[in-house]
Amino acid sequence: MTKEFNVLITGVGGQGVILMSELLGKSAVKEGLKVRGSEILGMAVRGGSVTSAIRIGKDVYGPLIPTGKCTALVGMEPSEALRNISFLSKSSLVIVNTAATIPFTVSLGESTYPDMEQVLEKLGKAAGRIVELDATKIAQEAGSRLTANIVMLGALFGAEQLPIKTAAIKETIEERFPSKAAPTNIKAFDLGYQACRQALK
Amino acid sequence: MKELTISSDAPGERLFVLGNEAIARGAIEAGVQVAAAYPGTPSSEILETLAGVAKGLDMYAEWSTNEKVAFEVALAASICGIRSMASMKHVGVNVAHDPLMTAGYMGAKGGLVLVSADDPWAWSSQNEQDNRYIALQGYIPVLEPSSVQEAKDMMADAFELSEEFKHLFMFRSVTRIGHARGDIVLGKIARERRKGQFVKDRTWLVYTPREARINKPLMLERFDKIKKRVNTLPYNQLKLADGARLGVVACGLSYSYTLEALKWLGIEDRVSLLKIGTPHPLPEELVIKLLSSVKEVLIAEELDPFVELHVKAIAGENNIPVKIHGKDRLPRIGELSTRKVTEAIADLTKSKPPLDFGRLDKLEKETAPLLPWRPPALCPGCSHRASHYAIRVASKRVARDYGQDIEPIYPGDIGCYNLAYNPPQEAVDTTICMGGSFGIANGLAHVIEAPIVAHLGDSTFFHAGIPPLINAVYNKANVTMVIMDNSATAMTGFQPHPGTGYTAMGEKAVQLKPEDIAKACGVEFVEVVDPFDLKKATETMEKAIRFPGPAVVVSRRLCAMIEQREKRKRKEAIIPYRVDQDKCNEKCNACIELLGCPALIKEDGRTVIDSALCTGCGLCAQVCPYKAIVEEKP
Ligand SMILES: Cc1ncc(C[n+]2csc(CCOP(=O)(O)OP(=O)(O)O)c2C)c(N)n1
Ligand code: SF4
Ligand code: SF4
Repeated sequence: MTKEFNVLITGVGGQGVILMSELLGKSAVKEGLKVRGSEILGMAVRGGSVTSAIRIGKDVYGPLIPTGKCTALVGMEPSEALRNISFLSKSSLVIVNTAATIPFTVSLGESTYPDMEQVLEKLGKAAGRIVELDATKIAQEAGSRLTANIVMLGALFGAEQLPIKTAAIKETIEERFPSKAAPTNIKAFDLGYQACRQALK
Repeated sequence: MKELTISSDAPGERLFVLGNEAIARGAIEAGVQVAAAYPGTPSSEILETLAGVAKGLDMYAEWSTNEKVAFEVALAASICGIRSMASMKHVGVNVAHDPLMTAGYMGAKGGLVLVSADDPWAWSSQNEQDNRYIALQGYIPVLEPSSVQEAKDMMADAFELSEEFKHLFMFRSVTRIGHARGDIVLGKIARERRKGQFVKDRTWLVYTPREARINKPLMLERFDKIKKRVNTLPYNQLKLADGARLGVVACGLSYSYTLEALKWLGIEDRVSLLKIGTPHPLPEELVIKLLSSVKEVLIAEELDPFVELHVKAIAGENNIPVKIHGKDRLPRIGELSTRKVTEAIADLTKSKPPLDFGRLDKLEKETAPLLPWRPPALCPGCSHRASHYAIRVASKRVARDYGQDIEPIYPGDIGCYNLAYNPPQEAVDTTICMGGSFGIANGLAHVIEAPIVAHLGDSTFFHAGIPPLINAVYNKANVTMVIMDNSATAMTGFQPHPGTGYTAMGEKAVQLKPEDIAKACGVEFVEVVDPFDLKKATETMEKAIRFPGPAVVVSRRLCAMIEQREKRKRKEAIIPYRVDQDKCNEKCNACIELLGCPALIKEDGRTVIDSALCTGCGLCAQVCPYKAIVEEKP
């Protein structure tokens, strides 16, 4: 059995970060794997930063990923990926959605948003590999911009590192969504998967 | 195969759940018949889960008006021989503190469990109090799990233990248990359903000084028995390593961090480990065994040095020469982590840290200035934004009459409206506890010459807002009390309350109106406004503030999150607003600076509305001095 595989999902309230970790966790349990995880809710939901960890493997006990021990970071938003840089190591994979969500403090002039090149350079230096994609755009192609989180989940599987079979996660997605929405979400997953394969070529 | 759910009677099956669902499952397996709670992060999902399956399991679940009532509901059921529980966040236990301190004297008939959900690092709280001290004060034994699986098992056992010792138990969870996720192995569901019986017996049910004196020694006897028993409970476990110099005592969740730390350092076989699942009372025999076998000990526990103090006392009483570390190595503030425990153990064992943590800290420090500030904010279309705006405009108008540099004061409360303490609104001057806004306003009224306008939400009003309202009437405090009524307990996840007209189990209920209560309490100025009619709302606020004596304004509009959800369900179009660039004055920024709605953004210097976020509330159109904000044509 896998010893330790740590996925950190980061984003902004409303992006579906928690749903992603639920789908991942459920699929891992289907595969007979031991799963631990944790999330931040509460004050953080109303547009604030959200992170969720899913940890898979027999050596995993705590709900949190230790600093420097993230296997894959899935960033739904560039600056929120950067905020979690201390979890990365040279063997980490980073998959980041390049569509930025600018907080209102920037409109107010109370803070500034980093430029994308800077974000990617910093993340690239800290991690082993980095995959960038515009998940929001791909989600629109799939049929709904609300599926950006499923696109990113697809991309995570596209890296072909997870100890979970693609069939298992697809089954979980189908169970989770009403039959009308399921095909759009499966399409979003597939497009994300391919985009990641393409990027890693 | 039928899909597994939280109430499936499928022993041995594995289910992926939230920690709070695991706690609820434990109670289900124990056959709990009465569950009461008041919402509060990180505890709310426990009762939500139970209420969702209560009918099918022949169980009763309620959202009580506050934690004191919730605890009393559970206590009453226990008196009648029924297994019962109350769940609440850590500060909720303060509200239940009064009956709790006598409940220890009483003991329990039906298994009685109080779930206290503590919140190290105060992720969603006003403080990070450590409720093990409340348990200590009340002679209440504490069970504290180290994982989601153990949370389920322990909760089920808690009822058994409570009946075995005829005593109330506290189950202490923390954010990283309740909001952790993990796979659990399901146990069997107890199907026994008891019939409540109230047996009149003043000796343990009526507390006059006489019964206090009779029952205290009995409580001490029960507690002594529990003290012996905890040495053999499976939740406390001692693993001695041959020739170990260092021993770790790890309480609750810290045990998981310690296991990972030892593995990370590769020294599992060189360090002795005592897992603590009952921090109060401690398994004294196991503690003595560990202390006598090593030279140094590290206590790994979150928040206050609770276990540390007691371990030090045990070492002292038994003259054991051992150096005990705890809060000298690990912080009192916030959560522990694998890293923090790893560093402490590495230091004490002179092992090499598995990573260059300093490099990671440096990286994080370098990155920090690049990051935008992303505080949580009121949702687009939130009615609290409008209420706050009306309050500020009205109270500033009145303040001018008090004198040149008089500022109105806004005592605030705990709920979504508190998010307006951030810029640009900065509309909250104090936040202390639920109901604290009205209470603080009462005190200010007697010492400050300025308009005092306090605000709280509908759920908070029913919970703790009524006594200070009555106080203002009785003691003639000249204050304005605004009830921001959005028909929900929004901050904690939209739970129903006495003003919503339905109960936790989805039944219709009498819908109480704050304005009726205010009138009945003798408030002479009571008005109800729609905050989105900004002009009218502001005028009414002004009248209320000018009214000599306590005044109440109920500012009523459904929570925008709920409204959007309902609109989507009804397939009703959401028509956003847009900025007419021909009319907008680029330098103005009034809408952004006055309201801070997340849908109002700057794009290349121009003010625009993000149509994906805008709910079409129209508030910004009402404050724009150039009439540049208009409804998008459908
Ligand atoms: C004693 C206590 N119990 C529970 C909580 C958790 N809590 C935070 S805000 C809130 C109530 C929010 O409801 P309401 O006042 O109606 O405001 P809304 O969030 O709906 O705007 C609760 C229950 C708390 N902070 N203190
Ligand atoms: S959840 Fe409701 S009350 Fe809370 S900020 Fe959003 S709209 Fe306002
Ligand atoms: S109408 Fe204006 S204030 Fe209301 S949600 Fe839209 S942008 Fe925000």
